[in-house]
Order: sequence, then C-alpha cells, then structure tokens
Amino acid sequence: MTRAGDDAERSDEEERRYVTPAGDDAERSDEEQRRYVTAPRTEIAWQRLSPRMLLIHPVHELLRELPLLIGGLVLGSTTGNQSWTVAVLALSAVVGVARWFTTSYRIEADPESGQVQLRAGLLHRKVLSVPRNRIRSVQTDARLLHRLFGLAVLRVSTGQETRGEHGSGAFELDAVRVEQVPRLRAILLAESPQPVDAATAEPVASSTVLARWQPSWLRYSPLSLSGLLTMAAAVGVIYQSGAFGPLQHSRLAKLGLEAAQRLGMAATVAVVAAVVLVASVVLAVLRSLVTYGNLVLWRRADVLHLRHGLLRLRERTYDMSRLRGGTLREPLLVRIFGGARLDAVMTGVHGAGESSVLLPPCPHSTAKAVLTGLVGDPDVVAGPLRGHGPRAAARRWTRALGLPLLIGAALAVLTVLKGTSVVPLWLWTAWVAIAAWCVLLAADRVAALGHRVDSRWLVMRAGSLERRRDCLATAGIIGWTVRQSPLQRRAGVATLVAATAAGVKRYPLIDVPEDQAWAVAAQASPWVADSIWARR
Amino acid sequence: MVDPAHPPSRRAPLRWAIGGVVPWLLLAAGQVVWIAFDRRLLWLHIVIAVVTVLGAAISLSVVPLWRYRVHRWEIGPQAVYTRTGWLVQERRIAPISRVQTIDTYRGPLDRLLGLANVTVTTASSAGAVHIAALDVAVAEHLVAQLTDIAAIGGEDAT
Repeated sequence: MTRAGDDAERSDEEERRYVTPAGDDAERSDEEQRRYVTAPRTEIAWQRLSPRMLLIHPVHELLRELPLLIGGLVLGSTTGNQSWTVAVLALSAVVGVARWFTTSYRIEADPESGQVQLRAGLLHRKVLSVPRNRIRSVQTDARLLHRLFGLAVLRVSTGQETRGEHGSGAFELDAVRVEQVPRLRAILLAESPQPVDAATAEPVASSTVLARWQPSWLRYSPLSLSGLLTMAAAVGVIYQSGAFGPLQHSRLAKLGLEAAQRLGMAATVAVVAAVVLVASVVLAVLRSLVTYGNLVLWRRADVLHLRHGLLRLRERTYDMSRLRGGTLREPLLVRIFGGARLDAVMTGVHGAGESSVLLPPCPHSTAKAVLTGLVGDPDVVAGPLRGHGPRAAARRWTRALGLPLLIGAALAVLTVLKGTSVVPLWLWTAWVAIAAWCVLLAADRVAALGHRVDSRWLVMRAGSLERRRDCLATAGIIGWTVRQSPLQRRAGVATLVAATAAGVKRYPLIDVPEDQAWAVAAQASPWVADSIWARR
Repeated sequence: MVDPAHPPSRRAPLRWAIGGVVPWLLLAAGQVVWIAFDRRLLWLHIVIAVVTVLGAAISLSVVPLWRYRVHRWEIGPQAVYTRTGWLVQERRIAPISRVQTIDTYRGPLDRLLGLANVTVTTASSAGAVHIAALDVAVAEHLVAQLTDIAAIGGEDAT
C-alpha cells in the first residue's frame, strides 16, 4: 500500500522532496533510514477487533456464499440429503469465526514515524502497513447488521490508492465499536477529538450545517437509471444462483405464459414494460431514500463532514486544506427538474464515484449555495461564462447532425430510386424524431460550452446529457496541454486540458479558439505567463 | 506562445520508422503463413496485402518525418515545454517546481541507436511531460539540469 506511489499515478505531496532521476530509490533509502533510527522499537501489542464480529462475520460469510447455499439447498432437495445444506452452513460459520481470530491491528505511538498495521487473512496471511503521517482521511461505514450491534467499519486512506477504496489493498478495521470511532479517528488523524454528541451522533453547536436532506429531494430520483440497474442486478443474482432453472418450470411461470397467450403479443409487451417502469421508479426512489435520507453535510473549522444512509450509515471527512474546487453536475434528467449534484475536487480523493460526492441530486440553489460557501466567490459558481465562439458551435452542430443527415439522405435516395414502398412511413417518423432530438442536443451543448478564468479560479462548463461545471483552484493546476486533432486545426480551435493532482486529474476545456487557449492558461497560471515562450 | 526550440535527435525518425514498421511486418508474416495454408478467397488476400503494404509504407516514410517536424522540447527556468504528435498534436507545459520525478527510459531499439526518452512527472497523472528520442548525452544533460532547477524550488507539489 505504501508502495502504491511507485507507478505513474503518484498523487499528492508524495515524494515531492525526492526530485532525482531515481526518485524511488531516494525515497527507499530515506525510509530505511527512518526505520533504522527507530529500530529499537518497543513491541506494541496487537489488538483484536470487536468480539461482536463473532456474530456478524458468519452471517456476512453466509450472504457472500448465498449462491453456494442455494446450490446446497437444491442439491439437498434433489438428492434427498440435507447434509449438504448443513455442511455449507457450518463451513460459513467456521470461516466467519476464524476471520475474527485471524485479524488484528495495532497503532504505533509516534504520529510521525509510527505505522498503523493490520494483520489479516485466513489462508493468505498479509500485513498492511500505513505510515501514520501519510493518513489523509478516515471514513466509517456501518451496514445494517453492524449498526444493530453498535459497530462501524473504519477505513483509513492515504489518498494514494486511486483505484477504488474497496480494493483488496484497502485498510479497513471491520469492525470497531461506534463509541471508539471518534477516539480512533482523532488518534489516526493526529488531531483533537471532534466533539460529536455520541448519543445522537449529531454535529455539535460549534459546527455549521451546510446542507440537510429534505424529502423533496426525492423528486430527482424517479427517472434515474439506478432502479433499472437494481433490477438487472437482482435478475443476475437469481440467474447466477441457479434458481432460474427450477423457476422456469414452476407454476408461476406457467401462469404467466398462459396469461400472455390470452392477452396477445402487443398487450403483453405493454404490460411488462409498464410493470418494469413502475418497479424501476419505485426502486429508484427507495434506493435514493435509503442511501441519502438523513444526509447531513456540516463544516467544523477546516474539516467537512458528510454523513448519510438510513440503513447503512456512512461518514466521511474532508480536509478543507486539500480542497481544490468543486464540480456542479447536472445530468439532463436532474436538470429538467431544477436539480444538481455536487462533487468535491480534492487531492487524495478519487474524483469520480461515491468517494467524492458532497451532495446527491438536490435543488440547484442548495448545491450552488454549498459550493459558494466552499469556494467563497459567488461568481465562480453562478457567474456568466465566456462562450467559445461560432466555430466551436459549428463543430457541435456537425457532430450531432452529421449522422442523422447522412441517414436521411440515404433514405431519400432509396425512396427516389425504389419507390415509396421500400422505405416505410414509420422509418421516416423515427428519423424525424431522432433528428429533432439531435438538434435539441446540439443546441443545448452549444449553450453549455463556456469558461471563466481569473487568477484564482478556472471555471469550465460543457455537456448536455451529463452537464458539468468544474470550478478549479488555479493554484492546484500543475500542467497545461493544448491538443489539436486535424479537424480542430482546420477549424482553428483546440482542447485545453488543465492537469491537477485533485479530483479526476484531467479537466478538459473543449474547442477553445486557438488564440485564446494559451491566454486562458496564462491568466490562470503565472508560471505560464512568465515563461520564456510567452514573453519571446 | 512560441513553440519550444529543440528538435529530437537526428536518429529519431529512424527509431520511429523501425518501431512503426514492426507491427506491419508481423501482420505480413501472418499473411504469408495464411496464404501458405489456404489459397481460397484470393481477392481477400490481395486486399489485405495492399492495406498492409500501404500501412507499412506510411509508417515507414510519412509518420517519422511528420513526427520529426512536430516534436520539439525546451527547458525554461520555470517550466518544461514540449510539442508532440503527428496527426493529433499536443503542446504540454509543466512547472519545474511541481516536478516529482524525472525518469529516463531506454528500450532495446533506443539503446541500439543511442537514444533515450525522458519523462517528467508531476502529481497529476494528466500532466506528465514526455520528451522522446533524445541523444543520450543530451538526455543526461537535460536530467542533470532539471534536477538542479527542481532542487532549488521548494513549493508544495500539489
């Protein structure tokens, strides 16, 4: 884990001191030195996780092996010998209990040179070590069962593993008592304990609440795809568990088939579509409610806290000194209801996905207000943008309409050559619908495109289906790329990419007029404006 | 912005030509084997052969020279600046004060021709600056120079 910095994705202040051709070697020797200095280290006892996990682990193990269990049940019922089921149950229980006995952790005392270590693994023993001075954030996560037993999973991240926090390399203490969490968090982050009222886990008075979930936020979720995805996942699980075969021959399936025959093809499709639609809407709303109901975002001094989840409670902290801006995301289906999402742009936090979410779909004004509070400049969040001119607009139009126009021409030629019977009317209707959709899309994309730059903030907006407004602190920009394809050269535009260590790392500004591209970079970064190439 | 001043090594086009033609040669070898075992579909053989020869010719002649015309690099007192590519062209600038590592890479072909590639990485995965196909002496001098400049500045790398 500490070696994750070895590949290209070196993040953060990691290794900044070791600027040599063989930077890694230098670091290694430095670490060895450190190890040498603290060599007569007193052995610190390994600690076990909460013994309550003895009850939780077997259940989780059982859930994880659900397909196996169903297989055991099926095998048991076909062979008439239920010992298979018992065997699977017993195995799960043993593995679960063994997991607790084989996992332990310890925290070395010195916050500078000490390490946090986790020893785990039933068959493959492994020890994860994280230097304490590299710990960037501590997150907690409590699934339903954990909460029933008053436990929480504590996840430590160094900000280096950008490959997802649930990977095998993740450092997590699964699980510790909820009462221990504030103390552990304070120890790990080497700060004073956060005075959170333990009984209610509500933020105390000295902190300001930035946003609190409202039931009205649910209106943004019905049309999201999450409901459909949930259903697809459920079907996948059923299929994988082998329950599909028995289901195929069951009475339920027969009844369904008979009903379908009675209704006829068209009606059946309509009914199934309606059922899927209703189910997906209900699931999407439920999912949103369960994941984000009771969300609270609050700020205390220089730390942002985010907590959400009705059943599975998740809590994150973000260090404001590592904040490099924010992204206002407006997917089309959220935007038409006047909503927006808010992502944090942080160093050491993966830019895409759940780990950087500050606000789920919520009213536009809320997202804006929170972002304004974070960046401290209302113009950055809502101020007017500078468009990219007619050539960029023309490129949006040709991209969106090129293919529909080609298809339309082909259809017209076919009609003229072979007569109207070859191209049925519904094909033309569909073509008109698609072309109209493309026109709207292109118009929306043209309207979205724009940027705004001053010496402190770079703002860029683009997109229609997934519109985003990235607000990036110019101090965090550590590289500029101007990229031109042959078509862009002909049109006299370029894609300007701001590189940063935070968020998604790569923030492109598409189709800026050629002559403006470097001007934007120079305005944002003094080291570009002062460079010998700009002054020559 | 003025373009960076220095071209890559004079042997760079040769290196790009060899590197570019190898995949086409492998494809051609595959076709020879195919035609030895299966002579039906003669027209298909001819079409693929023509495509292969064209591809090889372009990657042997046009691409390396085009690349040589585009590729430029320069180190300023504060920043590294490069221009790369052929069809799609990129100019990239990174501040030396934020440089994290400076790597030199020499593949077998580079060693044969006495070339070296230098990669300057910063804390962002989108901001690494690649300077390709330099003479070894130039690359060594460049690395030394960059290391010197980078050691002076002590800014935060993010």
